Amino acid sequence: MPLIAGRLGRIGLPVVAAAVALAFAAAVTSAVLAATGANPLAAFRQMIGYGSQPDSVVNIINRGTTYYLSAVAVAIGFRMRLFNIGVDGQYRLAAMLAAAFGGFVALPPVLHQAAVIVVAALVGGLWAGIAGVLKVTRGVSEVISTIMLNFISTGIIAFLLRPNLFAVQVQGSNNIGTPPIPPSGRVPGFPLTGASIQVFGLVLLAVAVGVAFAVLVGRTRFGFDLRAAGLSPSAAVASGVNVPQMVVATMVLSGAVAGLLGMPQLLGDSFTYALDFPTGLGFTGIAIALLGRNHPVGIAFAALLWAFLDQSAQILDLFGIAKEIVIITQATVVLSVVVVYEVVHRFVLAQQQRAVGEQLGADERVAGATA
Amino acid sequence: MTQTQPDTPAPGESAPPAVELRGIGKRFPGVVANHNVDVTVRHGAVHAIVGENGAGKSTLMKILYGMLRPDEGTIAIDGETVAFHSPADAIARGIGMVHQHFMLADNLTVLENIVLGAEHLHGIASGARRRIAELSDAYGLGVQPDRRVEHLGVGDRQRVEILKVLYRGARIIILDEPTAVLVPQEVDELFGNLRELQREGLTVLFISHKLDEVLAVADAITVMRDGTTVASVRPSEVTARELAELMVGSELPVPELRESTVTDVPALTLEGVSVLSAEGRALVDSVSLAIHRGEILGIAGVEGNGQAELVEAIMGVRPVAAGRVLLEDLDITGWTTRRRREAGIGYIPEDRQRHGLLLEAPLWENRVLGHQTQPPNVKRLGGWIGGWVDRLGARRDTRRIVETYEVHTPGVDVPATSLSGGNQQRLIVGREMTGSPRVLIAAHPTRGVDVGAQAAIWGFLREARAEGLAVLLVSADLDELIGMSDALYALCRGRLVARVDPATVTPEELGIAMTGGMPGAG
Amino acid sequence: MRRMRVRRVAAVALAGALVAMGVASCGGGETTAGGGGGEQSLKVGLAYDIGGRGDKSFNDAAFRGLQRVQKELNLEVKDLAATEGESDADKASRLKLMADTGYNPIIAVGFVYANAVKEVAPKYPNVTFAIVDDETVKGSNVANLVFAEEQASYLVGAAAAAKSEADNIGFVGGVDTPLIKKFEAGYVAGAEKINPDVEVQVGYLSQPPDFSGFRDPAKAKTMADGMYDKGADVVYHAAGLSGNGLFEAAAGQKKWAIGVDSDQYVSAPGDQKQYILTSALKGVDVAVFDFVKSVGDKTFKPGVQRFDLADNGVGYSTSNPEINDVKPRLEELKQQIIDGEITVPTEP
Repeated sequence: MPLIAGRLGRIGLPVVAAAVALAFAAAVTSAVLAATGANPLAAFRQMIGYGSQPDSVVNIINRGTTYYLSAVAVAIGFRMRLFNIGVDGQYRLAAMLAAAFGGFVALPPVLHQAAVIVVAALVGGLWAGIAGVLKVTRGVSEVISTIMLNFISTGIIAFLLRPNLFAVQVQGSNNIGTPPIPPSGRVPGFPLTGASIQVFGLVLLAVAVGVAFAVLVGRTRFGFDLRAAGLSPSAAVASGVNVPQMVVATMVLSGAVAGLLGMPQLLGDSFTYALDFPTGLGFTGIAIALLGRNHPVGIAFAALLWAFLDQSAQILDLFGIAKEIVIITQATVVLSVVVVYEVVHRFVLAQQQRAVGEQLGADERVAGATA
Repeated sequence: MTQTQPDTPAPGESAPPAVELRGIGKRFPGVVANHNVDVTVRHGAVHAIVGENGAGKSTLMKILYGMLRPDEGTIAIDGETVAFHSPADAIARGIGMVHQHFMLADNLTVLENIVLGAEHLHGIASGARRRIAELSDAYGLGVQPDRRVEHLGVGDRQRVEILKVLYRGARIIILDEPTAVLVPQEVDELFGNLRELQREGLTVLFISHKLDEVLAVADAITVMRDGTTVASVRPSEVTARELAELMVGSELPVPELRESTVTDVPALTLEGVSVLSAEGRALVDSVSLAIHRGEILGIAGVEGNGQAELVEAIMGVRPVAAGRVLLEDLDITGWTTRRRREAGIGYIPEDRQRHGLLLEAPLWENRVLGHQTQPPNVKRLGGWIGGWVDRLGARRDTRRIVETYEVHTPGVDVPATSLSGGNQQRLIVGREMTGSPRVLIAAHPTRGVDVGAQAAIWGFLREARAEGLAVLLVSADLDELIGMSDALYALCRGRLVARVDPATVTPEELGIAMTGGMPGAG
Repeated sequence: MRRMRVRRVAAVALAGALVAMGVASCGGGETTAGGGGGEQSLKVGLAYDIGGRGDKSFNDAAFRGLQRVQKELNLEVKDLAATEGESDADKASRLKLMADTGYNPIIAVGFVYANAVKEVAPKYPNVTFAIVDDETVKGSNVANLVFAEEQASYLVGAAAAAKSEADNIGFVGGVDTPLIKKFEAGYVAGAEKINPDVEVQVGYLSQPPDFSGFRDPAKAKTMADGMYDKGADVVYHAAGLSGNGLFEAAAGQKKWAIGVDSDQYVSAPGDQKQYILTSALKGVDVAVFDFVKSVGDKTFKPGVQRFDLADNGVGYSTSNPEINDVKPRLEELKQQIIDGEITVPTEP
């Protein structure tokens, strides 16, 4: 029976917490919709109807793939109480350099894709590693340094993304980008029945990253050290964890995953890093990591929910409702999940304390009976 | 509110007691609560409530102060039954509480701290200043209203806290473990202040588990055990030992070693070890000692004289500025903490919650902590991921520790935080004694644990010593040091100032040695 | 009242949406809805670039065209805004959504829509698309509305040099992209034509991929103030919404400013108006209107439609009388450009 309580505490109650938070967010959103004179039920029905069309489903999966990688990158840091707020800069720089690399080199298929992905991971990891090194050698908070590195990466991209350097300009276009990656470096997508667009092939990369994250954090000594340092830095030090080394390693890992997050889009759709490459995904990842409680499976659901809201909200504009309403939904759900989870957490702890208390009581009664 | 209650009634026998608690009960999930608590506190008394950690003293005081509501029972103040819904109600009835951890704003002055939240009483300017001066003089507190709290010492801060409750009109003052944070001289001053309060007709409720102090200052003593009151005694009628036995409900365990198992093989040797603070001050100053196999070496010292730093230097958590640390004949001075642990140094840290445990992690993960690189916790070591955590193996071994070291827990998947202090410590001791360590660094191994755990931990140390373990025992409990050590040093300002013979030394002599006096250093 | 309007629009759109979705979801990309009716039933959709309606510049020019369509052609119109940092897939979704709900023709404002139009247009052969500022997308149902921004910029550059007493003028670009470089190139060339010794201060508010330079008036004001302080007495902007910051700076320092895309003398607040010498006009409104009209009367021609000085697709505004004294010189230059005697560079 204590085991059941433990299992419930680890899996069931967070799910309940997420459901409560979602319901609360829906209620708040409805209130806002109603206050502005719209019919919330009709709006939700529209969103669900549009969001479940095959093309929308594909877009949700694709967007969710990107969000997932972004959130995992953030979550790796969070597990060690490191706030990598620079996922945004890391992925943009990584995507740009990987795109340029992929566009300039000629390699056979498989090798080509793999090389581009490795370059992206390396760039992201090294870029984030700077913040890690600064933290352990100079005591600079990673929050400050990563956000500053975001600006620097923006500057570097602007500098490199010029003709004669890494960019080419197509005649008649006002866009500018890296040379397109040849077909040998692209990742084909999966068709989905009824949809006119394809699911990113690199959705598999996201799955692999998720599994690797789960295994690394949950099953390896490295992951144990990482979590120990996150739960109690002082206890980790006393247990022999080299915390500075772990800080750098964690930042590099987080950055490497961040570097991957542009890959599905780059290798599956854009094939070039141009002015219209999506930006801001790194910040979305922070919210999704919070919503998914830094758990590989939780994040997956959170990423899909987020993508669903983004995609399905597009239809609202057609009915005179600003699609930005979903930002309220998203913000509320994150905020309430944090609060609800804390409440649930305390509840579980009290449960377990009671279980321990009962056990002690039972022991004493037995001891009393035999004495 | 102004003081509405009449001036102290003549403390005659017929006057109702200042505080009368009858049949108080309080249930919580998992924590020892109160049941059938009866306490009667005379007017103008210094009344001590004693009991072990977790005996329910704090719960009871929180009930009296309105922070908790009792499930059953009655509270009567000056003979009148009351029901408090919040501390505000208790304050209105003239009850004040000085918490163990001071609640003062460092960057405000004494006056500002006192007035904060009670601005309606005497304003914030001259009225308040006058009132503070009056109170300070009347009770001999010697408080300077314009000093910033951050510049005050611990004793001064405590007096500010006392003045704070007096300012709010308290006639009954609860002091929660007031001496825990004080040095001996400050304790004496506090007791002087308490007598002053008593002389002015105030009633003091004094919570403590330091029996000598209780016997010195209290007029009446109520003993609590397992959530209930088990005895009310007069200090003149009991000895400290009797009081202690009332507290634990059985005969006290005695720290003692039987026949010597000391060998002449050094297990851990320190050669002129020094540790510097960030400012370059020597926290540990050229300490040299050798612990042999089968020997327990005790370090006595007033807290803050370098014990913590010495321990951390041995564990590799703090860099050694000068000198060498040898494990048997290996120089481990430059080794990482992990390497030292792998080489067979076990570590019971001083602050088990901050340094010894991951409170939110399950017990089995806490068993892995500190032994992340060793079987049965991991398998197929190596690679940058450092091998796989052996969840089965770790769980199985945790169950063994739970059984062998008698950790009371429903399972190995509950978080460490849900265990009591004694059980947490049993788990740590079991963990650190697993894997046949050669040296054990035990910092305050029985601090804050129940008597049962204390006796058990002493027993485990004796057994391990018999098997050849070398133990460095750092403690603030002089009886423990004298009883459990084969060799005993006093540490003062980072230096080993005396070596005493545990077989002959008395706690008094050891106390003098700790403060730098030299009772025949050997 | 507002509520009423929303309801009505919603009801109409809802009906369209339900029909369209039913068809689209089972038929895939092949089937299209909407355009099946006659010319009278055209519903015009317009998707904005980042910044959206209200930038008093590029997007608002498109909106003016749309308003004219609504008023003069009496057609139903709908305009949707983009989100910062979105991907091509989002833009494609937006275009598809409009196509699915019966909007035809559909106008994509800005080169960032190039990939989206490239993806969506072939799937909806019965819907006519237009893309502004891009000529890479080809298709039998796609019109590319492009402008000779450099020509208009040339003329206002000439005006700036002619009006400058300090022989020192400035250019504030929104984001350092090839498009905005075209404005810079024309402006500098025009100014140097009038006065080869003129000093031109050039600055950009942000570097791609940071597009905040198009909607950061505060930053534009700081930059413009800096240019005026360093001796410029005329400053031209190609920075969308950020241009409002330039006008504030000009009014504050009592120096000249030059607007862009729309006639900003007309839209500026009263106290700033007098300092807006002229504006380089980019006839997005005309282009949008003409495009819709061509679809309506079946004279639509796919491919590149270049709007330049010759067909009044670009130009400069004369609503501020202060420009009159240099107007003859500007008209002379304009004619020379039309006649091909002057070729305006497109890159600085």
